[in-house]
Amino acid sequence: MTASDQDITDASDEAVGKSAPHIYAPTRKERIIDHLRNEWQIYVMLIPTVIWLLVFLYKPMYGLQIAFKDYSIFRGVAASPWIGLEHFETLFGSDQFLRALRNTIYISLYSLLIGFPVPILLALMFNEVLNPLFKKSAQTIVYLPHFISTVIIAGIVITAFSPSAGIVNTVIGWFGYDPIYFLTKPEWFRPIFIGTTIWQEAGFQSIVYLAAIAGVSPTLYESAVVDGASRWQMMWKITIPSILPTIIIMLIIRIGNMLEVSFEMIIVLYQPATYETADVVNTYIYRQGLQNGQYDIAAAAGLFNAVVAFVLVMAANTISKRYSRTSLW
Amino acid sequence: MSGVKLESIVKTYGALQVVHGIDLEVLEKEFVVLVGPSGCGKSTTLRMIAGLEEISGGQLTIDGRMMNRVAPKDRDVAMVFQNYALYPHLNVAENIAFGLRIRKESNAAVDAAVAEVSGILGLTDYLDRRPADLSGGQRQRVAMGRAIVRRPKVFLFDEPLSNLDAKLRTQMRAEIKRLHKRLGATSIYVTHDQVEAMTLADRIVVMQDGRIEQVGTPMELFLNPANSFVAGFLGAPPMNQIEAVIGEGADAPMAEFAGGKIALPKLPGLQNAVGREVIVGIRPEYAQIATAPAEGVVDCDLDLVETLGSEALLHMSIHGKPFVIRTETLGQVAELEHVTGFSAAPDLIKVFDANTGVALSGQMRVA
Amino acid sequence: MANMNLYSRGDKTFVIINMVLIGIFTLSTLYPFIYITALSFSSGFAATAGKVVLTPVERTAEAYNYILSDRMFWVSYGNTFIYTIGGTLMSLAFLIPGAYALSRPQLYGRRFWNLMVAFTMWFNAGLIPFFLNMRDLGLLDSYFGIIIGFAVNGFNLILLRNFFEGVPRSFEEAARMDGANDFQVLWKVYVPLAKPAIATVALFCMVSRWNGFFWAMVLLQDQDKIPLQVYLRHTIATLSDDPEFTATQLNASYSFETVSAAIIVCSIIPVLIIYPFIQKYFEKGILMGGVKE
Repeated sequence: MTASDQDITDASDEAVGKSAPHIYAPTRKERIIDHLRNEWQIYVMLIPTVIWLLVFLYKPMYGLQIAFKDYSIFRGVAASPWIGLEHFETLFGSDQFLRALRNTIYISLYSLLIGFPVPILLALMFNEVLNPLFKKSAQTIVYLPHFISTVIIAGIVITAFSPSAGIVNTVIGWFGYDPIYFLTKPEWFRPIFIGTTIWQEAGFQSIVYLAAIAGVSPTLYESAVVDGASRWQMMWKITIPSILPTIIIMLIIRIGNMLEVSFEMIIVLYQPATYETADVVNTYIYRQGLQNGQYDIAAAAGLFNAVVAFVLVMAANTISKRYSRTSLW
Repeated sequence: MSGVKLESIVKTYGALQVVHGIDLEVLEKEFVVLVGPSGCGKSTTLRMIAGLEEISGGQLTIDGRMMNRVAPKDRDVAMVFQNYALYPHLNVAENIAFGLRIRKESNAAVDAAVAEVSGILGLTDYLDRRPADLSGGQRQRVAMGRAIVRRPKVFLFDEPLSNLDAKLRTQMRAEIKRLHKRLGATSIYVTHDQVEAMTLADRIVVMQDGRIEQVGTPMELFLNPANSFVAGFLGAPPMNQIEAVIGEGADAPMAEFAGGKIALPKLPGLQNAVGREVIVGIRPEYAQIATAPAEGVVDCDLDLVETLGSEALLHMSIHGKPFVIRTETLGQVAELEHVTGFSAAPDLIKVFDANTGVALSGQMRVA
Repeated sequence: MANMNLYSRGDKTFVIINMVLIGIFTLSTLYPFIYITALSFSSGFAATAGKVVLTPVERTAEAYNYILSDRMFWVSYGNTFIYTIGGTLMSLAFLIPGAYALSRPQLYGRRFWNLMVAFTMWFNAGLIPFFLNMRDLGLLDSYFGIIIGFAVNGFNLILLRNFFEGVPRSFEEAARMDGANDFQVLWKVYVPLAKPAIATVALFCMVSRWNGFFWAMVLLQDQDKIPLQVYLRHTIATLSDDPEFTATQLNASYSFETVSAAIIVCSIIPVLIIYPFIQKYFEKGILMGGVKE
């Protein structure tokens, strides 16, 4: 029996020691053999997923080292020479990258400020709808845009804001104004983009709050009715305090995921004329890396983005753990 | 010989030991009930027998064969779970047949077995139903059917009746008993309900804190509890236990306690034991009510009378300590309100050591 | 609840105002779809002149004729089906066994494996390393690359794992005692039990596959392999500059706008068809996976 075997069987040895010597206690080796003989199939089930994660998500993390290398396709990741922080110096000396960083922060902040309250408001309003058929159909409709592709949403936006044909300019025309070339005007990009994402996601995001509201005990409302409270008062005194924990957790998550700007939509919507306000870090990476082939510098920008996002997410998770006593994951 | 033998069975989780060396032999066709408060290790012990928990130490033998390292499916045991674990997507017949299908029995054999089992359990009319469409009692029967159909050597029951309401529980208890008589299979049954233990068991195993407190037939345990824990656990309401000191008696040992004294049986351990601290145990059924002070009567205050019909429970207090009497109501309903004390025949009194809880009394004859 | 007589006058006003506001929001969600549909059935001339508001003007199906006779439309539509169905099946083939294994308490190193999954949700290597990795694996321009490259997703894996964890352990134990091995326990007991959760995950996969466009755009150069969304993006990006369109705009029966609208309508239809199923499951699914969006 080896030293480690001793550790494992200590507890049972102690009890068994006093009994007859033939009494059996499994050794560590026997326990592992038994475990594998009985449970090997769950490992077989796990292996494909683990391999997939290693090949498609962890191997690229290894590839991230090109952020510190003078990468060339021909030399490959491992053989390219190290150059330290040169790419980061280039990035932080580049107006384009700094602009992208600034735009990312602005767009996220505005989205958060304007976009966060909307689903809460929607959920509260849905909760006050008495007619179940009306409620159900309204919900069905406002959830729908979430399931539509960003390209299609962007396509709808492009069509609706088109200078000659778009409905927006048609309406502007009714009031006697000249058409506006919305999508070529930097000052219009953020309002349009943020408005669109709210339009697309607010309904869907209200589900979480509706579920929280559904969890409020009906007896609270019943006793409030008996006490003569109006619906408006019940909303403020019962519903909102009851869902406050959910609101706070969602806020923390939102802040944690702040940098996840929907860049797919930006790629379809923006054009060189609006880069000034529209270009975010991910679109910058896309152009530098995938369109211009500067993989290493784009990877450096991506690494910077990922690290900031990671810090935000971990902070959010820690705070929400403390707040709710349950992890989000 | 499909007996089950446990020798020094131990269960540890890391550094924490939850079962401390269980020794138990369950004979063929015997119905043994493991009973004890929650967390006493009874379920863990059962699950070790089933093979659902690894045995950390000791030896498990079923039918003479060492089973420690045998997979559950190869131990030839069947288990009825507390929540039944009926597969909701399968109907009753498929649920019962599940184990046979897994073992690739022929269709004819499966159909015959299902027909037989559903006949025994009265499920023939429900074979096409899903578990969701069955009543609690029917689900319970399906769960048993799933165990019976494989004709295992040993049946294991893990609190199978605890999800049923009181009336159904009584009914199903009788059915399990009848079924055991009919099939005569070795059964190990876990419950925290002492009534189930008393009514079902050939032998009861009372457990506490991962150890066996006492093993015996229901009446043995009821009449001669080995210690104050067993005494308090079996019987409802539980045995009254009064902390007392042995005093001088004329011809029998006397127990003295705050609020009175009572004569004890003449036991070897009580001779010349003046000053010894003991616990006096008196079953609520064995206390005789008294309506006036007299020699041999312990005076108490009557707090409450609970009339149950043929019987009543008198909640008394002796110098602030509770004492319960169970008595007949017939012909004395009016008197019950005026009870001022009780007496008890020394032969029916149990005495336990105050420090160890171990019974000092001699054996009371079971018959 | 529905008895309005029980409410005070203030409550009635509140309820009615609320209903009107909800109605406005709902209509504003619905309107773009109506507008696009109207546009797709209008003539190019009417569309370009900005005459379409609610219903088709100079009703015509020319835009549909144009796209339906475009070979690329059919090719990309077919490709989207391949990616959606193939991708969803591939995802389930990984996710179901993987999530089951992760949910088992007896799995050695369970915390480690779960952390390995969760970490991918916190930290992402980013676009470039992922792209270079796909290239190194020889998965550019390949149906298989798109299908396998996005098979596993931490959120779906954890959602399904949480569901399996929520199933009482006694189901596994009962099946074990009945003689089932792990594969049989999963296939004959847990998969049927988890049907709602699996349906939810399958629908999430289908929707994200159907809508996915960025990686298809980046990874696929071969035009015969692109999905509908990439084709749509391509159309939007190029048609507006196409001389054929600009030159014949004024009297054409179709225009850039009507053609885009028609493609949009065609690609929304399948989503609308499965939308009732999505609705049935996704609310549950969202809540099952914790509170993550």
